[in-house]
Amino acid sequence: MILAVSWGLIPSYTVIGLVLGGVYAMAAIGLVLIFRVSGVLNFAHGAVAMFATFVAYQVSILWGLPGWIGLIAAMLAGSGIGLVIETGTMRPLTGRPPLTKVVVTIGWLLGLQTLAGLVWGANAYHRPVQLVSRSGFRVPLVHVVVGYDQLTTFVVALVLALATAALLRFTTLGTAMRAVADSPATARLWGINVNRVTAASWMAGSAMAAIAGVLITPLISFDTYSLTLIVIDAFTAALIGRLSSLPLTVLGGIGLGLAQTYPRAFISSAGVSELVTFILVLATLGLLFRPGSSRVRLA
Amino acid sequence: MTGDRLRRAVVALLVVVAVAAPAATSDYVRALSADAMWSGLLVLSMVVLTGFVGQISFCQYSFAAIGAFTVGSLVSGHHWSFWLAMPLGVAFAGLVGVLVGIPALRLSGLFLAILTVAVALFFDNYLLAPGTWNSFSGGLSPWQPGRPAFLGLGLSGEYAFYLFSLAVFLVCTLLVWDLRTGKVGRVLRAIRGSELAASTMGLNLTAWKLTAFGLSAAIAGLAGALSAVRIGSVSAPSYDFVHSISLAAVAIVMGAGSVGSAAAGGVFLVFGRYVLQQLSISSQYFNLIVGAGLVLQLVLTPQGLIPSMTQRLSTRFARRTDGLAAPVPAEGVNA
Amino acid sequence: MALLEVRSIGVRFGGVHAVDGVSFSLHQGEILGLIGPNGAGKTTVFNTISGVRRPDAGTITFDGRQIDQLRPHQRARLGIARTFQNLLLFSDMTVLENLMVPVDAFSRRGVISDALRLPSSRYEEERAVERARAVLHFLGISGAATTRAGDLSVGLQRRVELGRALCLRPTLLLLDEPAAGLDARETAELAALLPRIRERFDLSMLLVDHDMALVMRVCDHIYVLDFGRIISEGAPQTVRDDPAVIRAYLGEQVA
Repeated sequence: MILAVSWGLIPSYTVIGLVLGGVYAMAAIGLVLIFRVSGVLNFAHGAVAMFATFVAYQVSILWGLPGWIGLIAAMLAGSGIGLVIETGTMRPLTGRPPLTKVVVTIGWLLGLQTLAGLVWGANAYHRPVQLVSRSGFRVPLVHVVVGYDQLTTFVVALVLALATAALLRFTTLGTAMRAVADSPATARLWGINVNRVTAASWMAGSAMAAIAGVLITPLISFDTYSLTLIVIDAFTAALIGRLSSLPLTVLGGIGLGLAQTYPRAFISSAGVSELVTFILVLATLGLLFRPGSSRVRLA
Repeated sequence: MTGDRLRRAVVALLVVVAVAAPAATSDYVRALSADAMWSGLLVLSMVVLTGFVGQISFCQYSFAAIGAFTVGSLVSGHHWSFWLAMPLGVAFAGLVGVLVGIPALRLSGLFLAILTVAVALFFDNYLLAPGTWNSFSGGLSPWQPGRPAFLGLGLSGEYAFYLFSLAVFLVCTLLVWDLRTGKVGRVLRAIRGSELAASTMGLNLTAWKLTAFGLSAAIAGLAGALSAVRIGSVSAPSYDFVHSISLAAVAIVMGAGSVGSAAAGGVFLVFGRYVLQQLSISSQYFNLIVGAGLVLQLVLTPQGLIPSMTQRLSTRFARRTDGLAAPVPAEGVNA
Repeated sequence: MALLEVRSIGVRFGGVHAVDGVSFSLHQGEILGLIGPNGAGKTTVFNTISGVRRPDAGTITFDGRQIDQLRPHQRARLGIARTFQNLLLFSDMTVLENLMVPVDAFSRRGVISDALRLPSSRYEEERAVERARAVLHFLGISGAATTRAGDLSVGLQRRVELGRALCLRPTLLLLDEPAAGLDARETAELAALLPRIRERFDLSMLLVDHDMALVMRVCDHIYVLDFGRIISEGAPQTVRDDPAVIRAYLGEQVA
């Protein structure tokens, strides 16, 4: 079961891990944004990403429009769904325990996943949207080929992370978001339209999920099930980021991507990356909740 | 109290119907009815967890899988008797439930939910995946355990097996109901009410919460064991994460605090799909309906459909005392 | 030997010493008062005795046993009960059920015999109901037995919380601001009730409260806390006239 250590594979596995990690980071940032501002852990985050990706598929593959239009369509679809979830099902539940709202997102997960399966076929093969060409360039010293699509994905992830940080730091909306994240009641006293800010966070977070979905589908299997499950990887990265720190979330996502990929160089067992994810989830939950520590006592 | 007696009468009537009705239907419907029984047990396992300690789990089917695969591997692979394999599967499931409960002690409901998602995916993609533990999961080929005989009577006939499943379901429901209205129910409701107060009143929170987790998982394991011999084939996709989510959604819609919701939930899970099929609608719509129903229901009736209905009936029949509004009979309504 | 010995208790919150070097003793049958201005550290001391918070320094001995590292439910088993300033009743349960919980906690009934409704279980259940009803009767709130606890007025809820603690059959009863939210009449009733409880249930009490009238009337001995330290102690009369105490409550100018 344990292969001879194939050192030669490390560089290419690193590339894969980084790209995967970048996607996780993107999804995780969106998740954390929604969580901090609206207090809801969106279990349907992956389902939203999945649905939006299928919209891109519809636009770019089935209707033949250029890939970037498909991406934009996905972002619009993603933020649209996020908006509907927030205004339609979260806002009526203000004041209810957070667990109730989370269960609602579970309902959305089921609904979105089934709907996508009904519209586009649950088990059929879908050609992923290829935004950037697969061809790549050779990195000199380490002898690995990096695809332009891989590079783009990673760069986009970093850019989005920086953009989010900039949004939160330098814009009015971002400051409003941070205020609401801190204390919605106080924010309201300062004249901040909490409803609009919350809706904005859902839209932004879901749009990011959409981008993550579109970018990851060339790398993994593109079906209604797997993409929905990306939410657990996003969770893990978000937990590593302690559900609050943007840089740590990014690092967490990248770290998770690498941690899932590297073992494949040594162990041939199928579910190894699952095992790694599971251990990391346990570890982050355990570390986050030391007895006596009152961090993140939100739910 | 007339409300109580009415409720007993209704339950008795339902039991009679449950026993007699399938006699008039086809074997296929009887098989579905048996499925409704172990599905009902799964909902019951959620009632124990949600109704007692207020936690939501998205990995109940994984516990069921433990029961199912234990029976499958031992009965089909090693020719054990079902009556030995089944208790072992239940115990194994209960043990895993306690293990999952340990980190849960420190986690709030929200993060526990994440943990159960991780557990479910862990089972789906690692533990039960071919190659990891083939002697348990069967690798690429499903286990095919045969039906056992109960006290000399073969259970291969669908009606016979259904009656057996019904009996198991009723016994479990009765046990859980007894627990709920007695000391155990009080203790667990106290823990739900205020953990701090409960612990200063002498309750060992750890022991009780772990017991609840273990019991919930054990019931799920029992459901899995039944499903293994009902279907006659045990394969991992039947116990996957989506099933757990669907189960959780139905349980919550039905009102996971109420024992009565177990039967309703089980019937709904199985016959809901059946009805769709009869109407020539793809059974895929079932999950969609459940998802939408869950969202709508949470906005409208937080307690779930069943408790709201019984509550309305109870208050109608309860007597008014001293001019005060009839107190909500805390045990009666939630049963 | 004192029933409760608190020796040099210290509690830190970050860099702040909320409680520093606090020592006192409580003797069998005493009603001891712990008072002080807001922020003095009374509730913190209280929490270390009841087990909600472990002290960072010092020891607590109860009935000869060191208890400072024990968890709340373990202390309850030793005979320490408490009420809460913020009333932590089990609001969704009836009053009777609230009072039965402590009895349940010590009941030896197994889960199996409960599930099967064996005669031993039913007998124990009836005994638990009896004990709860007896306490309710003593407190004069029998009429509320089947009412949902959360639906009662504050005054009645305080009685229920008291009753719940009493069902534990404690040796030591810790009362955290039992008069909070009560009007003058209810407080006077409470002041009359506490000594009766001591006598009827043969227990000792540690009382923390802001209501001076209550404390002065009920307590045998009082300790005064300020800034996490004990600044005075003695009989009610002594403490009331102590300049240090007056200064702590009213500030420098008055003294």
